[in-house]
Amino acid sequence: MQPRKILVVDDSKLIHKMFEVLLRQYALVHAHDGLEALQCLGSDADIDLILLDINMPRMSGLEFLSQVKANEALKDIPVVIISTEGKEEDTIRGLEAGASAYIKKPFGNQELLEVIQRL
Amino acid sequence: MEKVASSDAIVELRATLERARELFDQLVEGRAAEAAEALAERPSLDAKLEEVERDREELSARLVEAEHQLGRLMNLYVATFQLHATLDPDEVQATIAEIAVDLLGAERFVLLLRLEGSSECEIALAKGLEQDPSGLYAGDRYRGGDPLVDAALEDGVLRLGPDEFSEAIAAVPLRVQEAIVGVLVVLKLFDHKAILRAEDRDLLDLLAAHAASALFAARVYSNTDRKLRTLESLVQLVRGT
Repeated sequence: MQPRKILVVDDSKLIHKMFEVLLRQYALVHAHDGLEALQCLGSDADIDLILLDINMPRMSGLEFLSQVKANEALKDIPVVIISTEGKEEDTIRGLEAGASAYIKKPFGNQELLEVIQRL
Repeated sequence: MEKVASSDAIVELRATLERARELFDQLVEGRAAEAAEALAERPSLDAKLEEVERDREELSARLVEAEHQLGRLMNLYVATFQLHATLDPDEVQATIAEIAVDLLGAERFVLLLRLEGSSECEIALAKGLEQDPSGLYAGDRYRGGDPLVDAALEDGVLRLGPDEFSEAIAAVPLRVQEAIVGVLVVLKLFDHKAILRAEDRDLLDLLAAHAASALFAARVYSNTDRKLRTLESLVQLVRGT
């Protein structure tokens, strides 16, 4: 059985490295902003899950999310927002935009793993 | 003749019933003994069950602790790896900022580096300082005034707030060998991160030990590389003429 393929979208190299260590059992695809992530989705048809930061250069996480949810071929891919934006309204905005879950940075590893396994 | 036969059958039936009653009594006695035996064993079984339950709880607690320690070690590994993963000073500074934001949960912080031959510090890196009411970090220099920061710069000991006279939540001295070359000042955490936790102390210690050395190694390499390129250009120029 193929491991689930996860697209990590974050401008922090530290976060990419952390996911490499934490999510060894998954196949990871890396993007550093929304535009690069859209290109990845265009070239990689079998992404199972997206881990998404909000504040990124060129294209923000929310803009990327709205484009993904407007695309018939991509809209069913679950998206987990992982952001330092921790206010209640940020969470609501993310979930209303179509995210399946919202995790605040800094996050606990178990918390993230449980969310990924649930989706 | 028929009367005799039926009389025999009745006798036989009585004997059978008698035998059945004996067997039934034996069975009841046996069961009663088993039940008594089981009742006698019950306290020890209850004790064993309690023991197993205690073991299970202890194992669960150990598992949670092990996962917690694993997460802590992973954060330390990733932070150290990234700090030393590059020789570009800008990337090292970006990594320090990412550790402060993504792992510590710092919303407002400043990285101060001592200027050579001066008691002043330059502001090498800052985030969220536009909302700093103290004005101590205005411009590109820190001239002193925060007691926790000044003390950390003076003796190289990590200081944690709150302090009546300081805005700093943490003042992390940065060392290269024995020299104190700067300080990372955490001024505010994100609202969803109420306090610095015990495991954050490990990260602060790691920053104190590795951030400055990584930054200075990158700066030395960058300067040396720049000088080498200048010399190579000069050599080419001389050869060309």
